[in-house]
Amino acid sequence: MTTTVEGSMTTSAVALVLLLAVPALSAQAPRAAAPATLITNATVLTVTKGTLAGTDVLLQNGKIAQIGKHLTAPAGATTIDGTGKFLMPGIIDPHSHMMSDATNEGSLSVTSMVRIADVLNPTAPNIYRALAGGTTMLNILHGSANTIGGQNAVVKLKWGRTAQEMLVPGAMPGIKFALGENVTRKNNQTVIVQGQPAAPRRYPSTRMGQEVILRDAFTRARDYQATWADYRARLAKKEAGLIAPRRDLELEPLVEVLEGKRWVHAHSYRADEMLMLLNLADDFGFTIKTLQHGLEGYKIASEIAKHGAGLSTFADSWGYKIEAYDAIPYNVAILMRHGVVTTINSDDDGRARRLNIDAAKMVRYGALTEDEALRIITYNGAVQLGLETRVGSIEVGKEADVVLWNAHPLSVYASPDYTFIDGELYFSKAMDAERRAARVAERTELEQAEANQAPSGRGGAGGRGAAGTPPAMPPKENH
Amino acid sequence: MVSLLRVAGVVTCVATIASPLTAQRTAPATFAITNARLVPVSAPVIESGTVVIRGGLIVAVGATVAVPADARVIDGTGLTVYPGLIDGFGTLGLPSAAPAAAAGGGGGGGRGGGGGAAAPRAPNSTQAVGLQPELAVVNELGPDAMAFTAPHAAGFTTAFTSIGGGVFRGQSAVINLDGTDVSTMVVRSGMTQQLAFSRGGGGGGFPGSLFGVFAAIRQELLDAQRYRELSAAYARNPKGMVRPAYDPSLAALQPVLARQVPMVMLANTQREIERALDLAKEFNLRAIIAGGTEAWKVADRLKAESVPVLLTVNFPRRTTTPAVDADPDPLRVLRERVEAPKGAAVLQAAGVTYAFTSGGAFPEFLANVRRAVGGGLTPEQALRAMTTTPAQLFGIADRVGALEAGRIANLTITKGDLFAPGTTVQQLFIDGQPITIPVAAPSAGGAGGGRGGRPGTLDGQWTARIAFDGAEREVTFTLTQHGAILGGVLEGSFGSATLEEGVVQPDGSFRFAAWLMHHDGLERAEFRGVRQGDALVGEVAVQGHGTSRFTGNQER
Repeated sequence: MTTTVEGSMTTSAVALVLLLAVPALSAQAPRAAAPATLITNATVLTVTKGTLAGTDVLLQNGKIAQIGKHLTAPAGATTIDGTGKFLMPGIIDPHSHMMSDATNEGSLSVTSMVRIADVLNPTAPNIYRALAGGTTMLNILHGSANTIGGQNAVVKLKWGRTAQEMLVPGAMPGIKFALGENVTRKNNQTVIVQGQPAAPRRYPSTRMGQEVILRDAFTRARDYQATWADYRARLAKKEAGLIAPRRDLELEPLVEVLEGKRWVHAHSYRADEMLMLLNLADDFGFTIKTLQHGLEGYKIASEIAKHGAGLSTFADSWGYKIEAYDAIPYNVAILMRHGVVTTINSDDDGRARRLNIDAAKMVRYGALTEDEALRIITYNGAVQLGLETRVGSIEVGKEADVVLWNAHPLSVYASPDYTFIDGELYFSKAMDAERRAARVAERTELEQAEANQAPSGRGGAGGRGAAGTPPAMPPKENH
Repeated sequence: MVSLLRVAGVVTCVATIASPLTAQRTAPATFAITNARLVPVSAPVIESGTVVIRGGLIVAVGATVAVPADARVIDGTGLTVYPGLIDGFGTLGLPSAAPAAAAGGGGGGGRGGGGGAAAPRAPNSTQAVGLQPELAVVNELGPDAMAFTAPHAAGFTTAFTSIGGGVFRGQSAVINLDGTDVSTMVVRSGMTQQLAFSRGGGGGGFPGSLFGVFAAIRQELLDAQRYRELSAAYARNPKGMVRPAYDPSLAALQPVLARQVPMVMLANTQREIERALDLAKEFNLRAIIAGGTEAWKVADRLKAESVPVLLTVNFPRRTTTPAVDADPDPLRVLRERVEAPKGAAVLQAAGVTYAFTSGGAFPEFLANVRRAVGGGLTPEQALRAMTTTPAQLFGIADRVGALEAGRIANLTITKGDLFAPGTTVQQLFIDGQPITIPVAAPSAGGAGGGRGGRPGTLDGQWTARIAFDGAEREVTFTLTQHGAILGGVLEGSFGSATLEEGVVQPDGSFRFAAWLMHHDGLERAEFRGVRQGDALVGEVAVQGHGTSRFTGNQER
């Protein structure tokens, strides 16, 4: 049906790379509209409107077109029997570093000018692996090496498409901040390169210094904002001889933050540093959209709720550094009970395909309802990205990012049979199985090709004996 | 009549002496190559004809051309004469400018800039090293005759050259590879500006990451746009306006912004090429892609946006037998090796303009071109990609690229057809002067010969450990040094690869590039280092993975 979905979810790394897709040797073909798909008689976990037994869902023109009983498949539609299976919204991972060719611009303390969207790698194999785990959307963030990091990218995992096609238009622009140890630890690394002077230590070395960096940056951003406001006012008055102020790519995103047009996702662990940031944002009149990690969030749940921040954390991962010790698995439940929009994230390409299990743990720790547990990996993520009217639940009119599981997704026995994005099938176990034999045959054929053969005379244990011969002379033609 | 062999002998002797050029300058200025098969490229093949060269120019080409009385006659029986081949991209003519010293000068507020190979420093620049578009390769050229031995053997008389390090790499030039002084080498300069998305060096300065590089490029281009506005406003009416500060960096970008000068952007993978095209679109630049290993995957867009490609024919391929316990190559890598030589034919079919570059792998160049022909090009198409097309792209189509009276006398002469397996280059003419290719060219330069490494060279096998992404990994370099040219292969936990653009500096430091197999596919790595006794030490920069250190020991 489509040439864009290929690969495998096997646990063998070798087999995985073996099954990855590469476009055929031809120029890009125009995209055909995804055909309609009718999923019948499934248990539909809508997340926002409860669980619907024995229900049909029609995916058409990229949207969830109908939900109901005994729906009729339109002409040309594919029908999938969902009997015994569970349909849920695609999982949204609110903190990822997948498919990014760079993670940190660690040279400076303020790197708001860098953009994840500039360096996306749409061919990263983990995209396919995540699809096989039911994940359809990522919030790709800058790393945590510096206080103000770079601009995020929100993508749908449209495996086989270009980076531009994966970016989600209309997602709220975001920016990464980072507090605490990663920032100060980075600062203590002295880079020594032979023949060059050791890199200077970067300010700041303490949490106090991180606050200074933030206040300084936003003070500069305010000045910059005022400069442009003044220019625009004079332009409106048709003043003659005006020349626009210099555009500053460092300060522009921070002005957007001040104006509520760009949301802050702030890496933070300790209650005190999170409070510092919330107070600082209050001072400058903006809202921290999410505290990322936030392992001590439970200590200040009321304050987080009062500020209006969300929080995105791990289910049960802690103790990997000093600031990550005072954590409890009830963090999510306590925050939810205080009205904080909370999510579970992966921050890891492996965990990104098992987020359903992390959600399930929150039923065990803190007794979240099934809907609540699913919400922290779907709808709440959509809220944190400004996309809750478009994705995150199964409702008519929403984008058809849905996953059909072979068992209840909060079960350890569950795995996706089908993963759809915008109504298009990007993963299915059947397609995957089909392609494995073809991949094996392709490998066998490719390995016969001359370019994949070691040149004669340079074989054996690493081409010993090659020394002294001319460099890389064509072995067959020039001798 | 002087036999070809005789000319060959003379020039070979001269070439091994330090300064062959003065000798050549006193050589006869008029030559006639008779009874040769002539491939003018711009006109039909002449099965038996004569080329007359006088004063550095071609004065006559044809089946029935009279031989001037003063001409030194070369019997071309059995030989084929082509226009001198042009290497569409590279760093030839740069005396490897001892980058370590140039960049290590540090300073600049710790803002390192630059890529794996460091960039030179422009005086009075407002930008950090690596971000200085006012650099011009003509100011950095320092010919080294030995460095051209390998390109000559590949048939190159002419090359596009630009600075090898940094992000903004300055103005390019086309040079004739005759190794005389700079003033006579330069055919044209300043026809393009270069841009590479290579991250900062190891100095810890901004930009130190791939997205930092994009941010730095974007800010500099925005600043250049504003500089244009300020300068124009001041030019219109300086009264009452504080004069804009002179900025050589931003001034150098004006012809690029005005689309008078194309921006050559180094990009090999599909995503690198798409990023480059996106950037060109954002700033309305005239783009040329250099490298372009996966350009065929973007052929339609390249055609639609009229972007030419300086296509490397240094195709990825397996160079060594894997160790018995090695993981199998990923399918993706196996595919890349098979698909790459077919890429030129895809570009051709899509109507994309492309010229060939050696990719620094000179000894393999002709074999690689034949692979591209095996991948679906006709020999005529491949020949144009080494002659008329690069000449047109660089605005010198009226001077080089074809056998025509009035053009610069750059000739590449082979025994047999260039595209027949086994054919080698016998002789070149560059600016009308003969250069004979020694048999088995590279090894002729060696002093000691023999296996196991010659004293004073990097020859031999080195086991290197690379601290990479937090883990230590082992690779084996098998190096062969011939003068300033460093060749060889790499194998180990990064797969196997042919080393590219290998150079040994006069100070003993070296650099080379290689495609490493890593996670998702092939990543280009740039190695720089120095030999310290029995050890190699240095650093390696890999796209997307920052800079790591490596150390190596010679195997005994």
